[in-house]
Amino acid sequence: MADVKKHDTPMCDELKSGPWPSFVDDIEQKGLKGKQDCLDLLGQLELSYVHKETHWKHGGIVGVFGYGGGVIGRYSDVPDKFPSIAHFHTMRVNQPASKFYSSAYLRKVCDMWDHRGSGMTNFHGSTGDMILLGTTTDQLEPVFYDLTHQMSVDLGGSGSNLRTPACCIGKARCEWSCLDTQQICYDLTQTYQDELHRPAFPYKFKFKVSGCPNDCVAAIARSCCSIIGTWKDDIRIDQEAVKAYIGGELKPNAGAFSGRDWGPFDIQKEVIDLCPSECMWMDGDELKIDNKECTRCMHCINVMPEALRPGTDTGATILCGAKAPILDGAQMSTLAIPFIRMEAPYDEFKDFVDKIWDWWMELGKNRERFGELIQRKSLQEFLRIAELKPIPQHVKEPRSNPYVFWQESEVEGGWERDIKAFRARHAA
Amino acid sequence: MAIDKEELKQKILEFATKKAKHKSKMYIKDLYKAAPDASPRQIKNAANELVREGKLEFFSSGSTTMYGVPGFGKSEKDQFGELEE
Repeated sequence: MADVKKHDTPMCDELKSGPWPSFVDDIEQKGLKGKQDCLDLLGQLELSYVHKETHWKHGGIVGVFGYGGGVIGRYSDVPDKFPSIAHFHTMRVNQPASKFYSSAYLRKVCDMWDHRGSGMTNFHGSTGDMILLGTTTDQLEPVFYDLTHQMSVDLGGSGSNLRTPACCIGKARCEWSCLDTQQICYDLTQTYQDELHRPAFPYKFKFKVSGCPNDCVAAIARSCCSIIGTWKDDIRIDQEAVKAYIGGELKPNAGAFSGRDWGPFDIQKEVIDLCPSECMWMDGDELKIDNKECTRCMHCINVMPEALRPGTDTGATILCGAKAPILDGAQMSTLAIPFIRMEAPYDEFKDFVDKIWDWWMELGKNRERFGELIQRKSLQEFLRIAELKPIPQHVKEPRSNPYVFWQESEVEGGWERDIKAFRARHAA
Repeated sequence: MAIDKEELKQKILEFATKKAKHKSKMYIKDLYKAAPDASPRQIKNAANELVREGKLEFFSSGSTTMYGVPGFGKSEKDQFGELEE
């Protein structure tokens, strides 16, 4: 065994006794192979459990030269007890679109991180980046050099920057994808390099791209600007396959619910009655869909993937303003553009982004997420600055505010009045 | 109105240095007040250039980034100590 010192950690050890693999086990194994950082980390965690408070200080250095993000400074506030984690900075590495890695690349990253950091990683952080956990200030520039020069990857976003854009697996492996999510993700990453690496905003801003309304990357729940694939034409139906599902030759949900006997497939109960807009029915042995009422819930397509497929006239729905519950509770993105073509170079989409960023940069308060700005200034104001025409789909609920606020341009004659002419008719 | 970048940088630096005596870290929005005629984007670009020149410095909590003037407030070393090799 390497020359390392294990701390006494009874409470952390307790976590190893559960039925699932434990992070304590993983960290300890790494430590016993010669990484004192890992054992000190467990020691500090134990101390935090004893004191019921954290022993991390964070903030400070933010990155490598020229970058305003990508590194999150972390420092132990008990460095005398745990000297190897006195500095324990996190580095975010921009993941490839859809997280396609080669094993050679992963080996290289791990070797480099074993050499220059704690050897611990987190695949992946919530935003999607590869997270390299724990290094010292003097190693930041060398790590950055190795990543950029030897592995051709870049740091991700942190701080008041654009965060690393993320996307689902898209057309690479998914037949439902209506978008080339990887190309969009890559294009946005390249186009907005400055915003990604240097703080530009009142707070963080996230793009996430999902290829279809199943939204596997949870764009609608997590991103300030959600790009979700959709289609304009009709759901494609293979009536023969529908019959095969009804007849039991094809397994619903591609056999995903085969753990127990759920009985024979009942298309009425399991598909038609569950359609949220009730736009499906059986006409004899043919399945019919009133496509204009479809809300793209994807349930019927998920249940009968061989019989139903998204249409072929594809694009994206753009929604804005999702956030986690720091202020005013969590909120999902709200609809901005029901359908937009997403074809390179995505000019129409980028024009939209420029407009909303300008608005946020000017009016957003410190640490105010984009969704909170929409909440504070109203959806009407958001639509006005984004130059979007209000449509019924923008309406979330009946109005509770009885006032109507007009723009000057909407009122005949504007706001200007001739005071002399007024006084000629009315005494002061 | 077109604003000369060097002039803008000078204004931001003067504003930040004056402010740093009372509050050593400031948000990008605070820097907007240095030149009310300039757009947020121009201020951001000028402030980031000042950071590259070493006249301003970033401070980040991980979720938010702030700007500071080197020499004002606690330095990295004061705050977190130096590493023993």
